[in-house]
Amino acid sequence: MKGNSLNEERREEKISLKGEERAARVSLVAAAFALAAMPLLGQVPKPTSPSSAPSTPASGNAQPSNIDLTLTGATSARRPLAIPVTIAPLSPELQTKAVDPFYTTLSDDLAGSGVFVVADPALYPKGMRPPKSREEGDAWKATSAQFLVDTRLSPDGGNVIVEALLWDLGTLKSIMGKTYTGETRAARRIAHTLASDLVRQFTGRPGPFLTKIAFSSDRDRVAGKAVVKEIYTMDFDGENERRVTYSHTLSLAPDWSPDGKSLVYQSYEKDTPGLWLVGKDGTDKRPIPVPTQLNASPSFSPDGKTVAFCGSVKGNTEIFTVQMDGSKLRRLTENVAIDSTPRWSPNGRELAFTSNRQGTPQIFMMDLEGANVRRVSLAGNWNDEASFSPDGGRLAFACRNEGDFQICVMDLASGRTVQISSGPGAHEGPTWSPDGSKIAWEVQRGDSTQIAVGSADGSGTARIVTSSGNNFSPSWVKTLE
Amino acid sequence: MKQSLKIGSLTLAIVAFAVACSCSSKPKAAPAPAPTPAPVSTPTVVTTEPAPAPTPVPTPNVEKGELTGSLSEVSSYLKPAFFDYDKADVRSDARDVLAANAAWLKKYLSVRFTIEGHADERGTAQYNLALGDRRANAAKDYLVSLGVDASRIKTVSYGKERPFATGHDEDSWQKNRRAHFVVTAK
Repeated sequence: MKGNSLNEERREEKISLKGEERAARVSLVAAAFALAAMPLLGQVPKPTSPSSAPSTPASGNAQPSNIDLTLTGATSARRPLAIPVTIAPLSPELQTKAVDPFYTTLSDDLAGSGVFVVADPALYPKGMRPPKSREEGDAWKATSAQFLVDTRLSPDGGNVIVEALLWDLGTLKSIMGKTYTGETRAARRIAHTLASDLVRQFTGRPGPFLTKIAFSSDRDRVAGKAVVKEIYTMDFDGENERRVTYSHTLSLAPDWSPDGKSLVYQSYEKDTPGLWLVGKDGTDKRPIPVPTQLNASPSFSPDGKTVAFCGSVKGNTEIFTVQMDGSKLRRLTENVAIDSTPRWSPNGRELAFTSNRQGTPQIFMMDLEGANVRRVSLAGNWNDEASFSPDGGRLAFACRNEGDFQICVMDLASGRTVQISSGPGAHEGPTWSPDGSKIAWEVQRGDSTQIAVGSADGSGTARIVTSSGNNFSPSWVKTLE
Repeated sequence: MKQSLKIGSLTLAIVAFAVACSCSSKPKAAPAPAPTPAPVSTPTVVTTEPAPAPTPVPTPNVEKGELTGSLSEVSSYLKPAFFDYDKADVRSDARDVLAANAAWLKKYLSVRFTIEGHADERGTAQYNLALGDRRANAAKDYLVSLGVDASRIKTVSYGKERPFATGHDEDSWQKNRRAHFVVTAK
């Protein structure tokens, strides 16, 4: 964000949030914003009821299916809030450059947070901000809102100042107050910051709205020539795309380092596919020297010292670990079947991987000695590309029984599995947001592959966030800050 | 079962021959080299039929083993071996193709080449890279078993990253499940 930094000043007001309020997930009313008019880049249609979801019986499979397709979007648990737009009239230029992007971003973030429900802006009363009387508070509550996010934007030279107050419409008390200052073009970033602070107000943890996703894109390919893919990063909502690599060949499957400063990926530079490291801004690119072939699917260890990957020896792919300088190469699997796609568990003690050693590709886990191998995915004829939730309790993966891949999430303790994606197309390559609330994946429909972002519990509507070229293999950064 | 399999393979061989013949615009001056006898499971072709010649081989100077044309043109003399879905086993039709490739390669000993392993779009990207690696190496191993020196061969997997056919049907998928040959030196 060079030259685009957000100078954030925070003026904390008295926050009188009681314990039980903190424990509950609160729905805020962020007001006066026409949600219905928001242009959605694209939507992944989802079944609205369990009955419309495709069933996935374990056909031809003796094992009972434990995939539960009931979508568990408990919207009733979310706190409604209103987000009215700023009252003071602003210049058309500021309106376009700062005000509109600010409210679109703020409303998108809060509506997709899983913490809030945004009340219908069409119902918002005129004025009545801040709510000074019981009557005014009740007028806001009539929109279904329990909370009001009262924001005011004002210009300050080339900067924009955002003053935000969060009102509890029950007590008519302000429970959070912050002021943000940033360059006009950083209005979206200010909105992400405010949304993140609002989530933290009710959950104790910031929202994922300032985080990045890395991915591989073919947008730089030259027509008539072989496909090339380069590594890119973007904000989690698809904005602010940045090219990282200039490999002019295939660069695939990025994975963020734990500190969010660099990426490891597979690239076909120097003719043979290998493991590469690069800073998130494209600097300090260097290979990890390994004697194996293929060298696909790299995954950083949680301590950032080691990379697990899929290497091939004489045509047999196995799971290896290696340090950044190529030292301490270790082979963890020894099996004639395909072993691929390792993912490190957040506690650093286990790896999930894919193997067809029992027939079809399925997900297994093992420890760092390659011992205690056990099959994790039970139903379906192809389960692949596992990704651990940040707390390690759940596993997202591409799942298929018949038809196309969908994204499944399994609770590792109970084995209970929920399909969180739906609709046409092949859904693959899931990755978790660092707060565990969202999952990004790639969706192929016909000739187009794009990255979707949806909630980790399958509630709400997933959004397609990319559009330039085809985009693959999302990797969500692992830190919230 | 075994009998029907043989008939199937035989039919396939005849079809392959017919295709090869129909593709040749003119009769070859020199007879094409007969494929090296393949492993036991290959059915014997009836003698009244001409021997299958899957690979039309232009042979400007067989004795010296010299090749004219660009690497890309020379690469086209080596035919791809195709695979079943989610498999890396060398099928009987692929054995015939690889046997012809091996015979050609034994004439042109200076040729170095890469075998690319490819997969169709239906599996995941990461698994398909592993599958493509396995297919490329399966083709390599078969050539080596027929006497081609392993030091001439490199392998690389492209998974489903660089498809030959971009359709979303079995016809395209079959074209993309292949071991593909690229000559890197002649």
